[in-house]
Amino acid sequence: MKKMVILSDNKKFFKETTMEDYGKNYLEQRKLEKKWKGPIPAIVNLLFTLVIFYITWWIFQDPRGWLRMYTPYVGYMYTRWWLIVLIWMVYLFNFWPFKRDWVIKTHPVIKGLILTSISALILVALIKIFFEGILGNFGIAYFNPSRISKLPGVTEFFAIEYASLACLMFAAIASWLSPAWVVACEEAPWQKLSQPAKGFSIWVVTFFLSTIVYFVTMHSHMGILYYPWQYFTSITPPYWENFANTVSGNFHVAWIMCCTVTVWLLETIWERFPFSLIKNPTARRITAFFGIIAIAFAMHFFFYFVQELTFGEAIRGTRRDAAPDWRWLHVGEMAIFLLVPALFLKFYAGNWPNKFSLPVNVLLRTIISAAAGIVLYYLYYRFGHLVLGTQKGFSHPQQFPMIPTIWLINIWLVNHWFMDNWPGWKMVPKTAEEIAAEEKAMEEKISEIKWSSSLGLGIGAGAVIGMTLYFITIRILPFLYEKISIIPN
Amino acid sequence: MSDNKINRKDFIKGAAIGIGGATIAAMGLYSYSPMRKSHFKAKTRKLQDFGVCKSIKVTNISETSWFDNATLMGDIKKAGGLLVNQYEYNWPPFGNGKGLGKGSYSEGIEKIKHLLPNRLDEAWEIIKKNCINIDNAGGFAALVEIEELDGKKRKFLLDSGWSYKWMDECFKREGIDKMLANGEIEALIISHEHFDHFWGLPVTLKYKPDITIYIPEGFYSEGLSYIKDSGHRGKLIINKAGLTKMTPGFGLYNFNVPIICRVFGEQSMFFNIKDKGLVSVTGCCHQGIIQFCDTAYKELKYDNDKLHGIYGGLHISPFEDWDPKYDDLVISLGNYGFEKIGCNHCTGLLCAKKFIERGYPVVQGTARFRTKDKSYLGNGDVISFGV
Repeated sequence: MKKMVILSDNKKFFKETTMEDYGKNYLEQRKLEKKWKGPIPAIVNLLFTLVIFYITWWIFQDPRGWLRMYTPYVGYMYTRWWLIVLIWMVYLFNFWPFKRDWVIKTHPVIKGLILTSISALILVALIKIFFEGILGNFGIAYFNPSRISKLPGVTEFFAIEYASLACLMFAAIASWLSPAWVVACEEAPWQKLSQPAKGFSIWVVTFFLSTIVYFVTMHSHMGILYYPWQYFTSITPPYWENFANTVSGNFHVAWIMCCTVTVWLLETIWERFPFSLIKNPTARRITAFFGIIAIAFAMHFFFYFVQELTFGEAIRGTRRDAAPDWRWLHVGEMAIFLLVPALFLKFYAGNWPNKFSLPVNVLLRTIISAAAGIVLYYLYYRFGHLVLGTQKGFSHPQQFPMIPTIWLINIWLVNHWFMDNWPGWKMVPKTAEEIAAEEKAMEEKISEIKWSSSLGLGIGAGAVIGMTLYFITIRILPFLYEKISIIPN
Repeated sequence: MSDNKINRKDFIKGAAIGIGGATIAAMGLYSYSPMRKSHFKAKTRKLQDFGVCKSIKVTNISETSWFDNATLMGDIKKAGGLLVNQYEYNWPPFGNGKGLGKGSYSEGIEKIKHLLPNRLDEAWEIIKKNCINIDNAGGFAALVEIEELDGKKRKFLLDSGWSYKWMDECFKREGIDKMLANGEIEALIISHEHFDHFWGLPVTLKYKPDITIYIPEGFYSEGLSYIKDSGHRGKLIINKAGLTKMTPGFGLYNFNVPIICRVFGEQSMFFNIKDKGLVSVTGCCHQGIIQFCDTAYKELKYDNDKLHGIYGGLHISPFEDWDPKYDDLVISLGNYGFEKIGCNHCTGLLCAKKFIERGYPVVQGTARFRTKDKSYLGNGDVISFGV
């Protein structure tokens, strides 16, 4: 239980009266107030985070920089797992074990530095102790580079790369399931538990599920990696070979990445719509969880089709942009390009636009994010190599656009979650009335969407428009691609 | 508003839901269905005629680009991975004495430029002091002899290797030094800018400084400077993407592909052998051998409409690494019907073994002159097509 105390300096803080408020979501309890009018805070924060991005990129990732972790799999693995650690700390554990009072009162920069350092410690412990030390020594050898390097002909470099690949494939799954349990399943059945019981419960279940999904989607990929194919420890050739036109696990990486992106679209620019329309909690949670997968598969197939329409039909056995395995991987990469602007809209643009009904807002934000994603895609392939120290061109075998894009997302998450959008915003705790008013406003938005003949007609007309838009898009894509030269000769 | 009138707000809400829902549904149901194939362009074949020749003979001067994979990969690992600019490794000949990953073209070339291309032994002594793992450097080069329909023979050199010392030994072993000096070799074709194919350029220029050189577009400024700094006095031809017709039945095909160690673009050789079909000879084939075949199918006209043979590095597992996508290649290559496969260099020994296991017509070698395994067509070995 809490009560609001108005302090003499007019700053409002939650003050604990009985027990720590670990169970409540800090992100929902805080109000971020712009320090300046108009788009200035967004511009300032964008510049600030881009500077941090570039400094940290140079230190950790850049092939011309200091630590040069972009080997690529080592840097890729740490980037992905850092994302998951951030999600765990904020979404699963709600900043536990830090007292809410500390989270509220500490200066954003200090808080950002401390929490980021802790996330880095957890990250290193996870990779070195759990994956390499425990799993790699007592369970599955391919998680431990030193064990792989004992195989004849495998160099230390590739031993580390292979182990990193296994870890990051696991990460892809965890980055979908961990937030999905909060966003889609609404933390059920542990939503009423206090921390850390709730966090650990969700963590254990999502980690367990990630392990199962890993074995049925990625383990065969690792089994094929070693000669001869590991027939008796993994299913080879894998069951997806004929459907996906490849034995590579990138087929699964693609739809799982689309799941991750869909979870975050749902949580941010979609405001959990359309699943929020379902009133029965159990039905809503189940529909949302599997709905995310269904939407992700739609995205998965569509982005593959987009490549067939632009680059041409995939040819099995080729390398580069005609290879099915790269095409599937690129599906995930395209999805991430869509996510970056969506997160910017949510974190720094107040989830604009807001003035329409929920479905219209959601549709407009999706269109804006898609358009901005296309621009970002163009900019990345046109200029990214000059900034990031990578190689120009599509489908370089050692190049993964997901590394810089997720690295940027991680920095935005640190800025938005740990630093309360400093320097462009300041955090003010919401009053109980404000929280109640927000909840009521959301309920009203949802209740506005009631079945009527007008709504039904609109849905029918919209369905026709949606189908038409889809077929127009696939008709014009090949011509557009021919007209736009992303990478000039 | 009465009940039978359309409520504009509700209609718009419904329309937004309908648009989103239907678009997602169409994406999911249509995009990977068999119906989507109606949108694919039919493969149109340009059937460009680049002539025909009687036969070709390829002599492997050197396929051992480096001698110890662990040493090379150790260098790459410590320098920061496969995207690091190759001129920064401090590998021979561009050493500045500052250690691994801290090299630069300008500092390295400054120390040896005055000795190129004639005083390579002296240059090598300087290189030894400033570079790392000198003895691991080898190189890739091949001599391609074309027999035209009238019996006239023409010779081209594909690539010039890496180590000055090793390549000079190999050139002497195969008599390339004399062929160059006598003017028997018409041109040097550099497949791409990689260290193991290009950095041994002064060895060719030592014997024939005015030789015509063909490079693919995409060379970086360091590479272009190196051609001049090595003492080249002949014609330099930069091939654009696509086909460049060379002699009857011989064409170069340039692919704009990004390549590891900050290299861009590779050109490979196509030959149309009378009554046999198409033969491809590649340096590394970074574009992928099946991409190469598919391009030939779409672009070129060749006898019997048949893919006859391959020689060269096929760039599948150059560092003896592996990935399931390489198995896609191993599985698929059989569909292309090659009758003669000579592979080495960056193909990967494991890959060559998998080809043999699947019964592909791999021409095996003799494993001489530091080539490690007979599954490769090794150093000093010869393969002919159409003979």
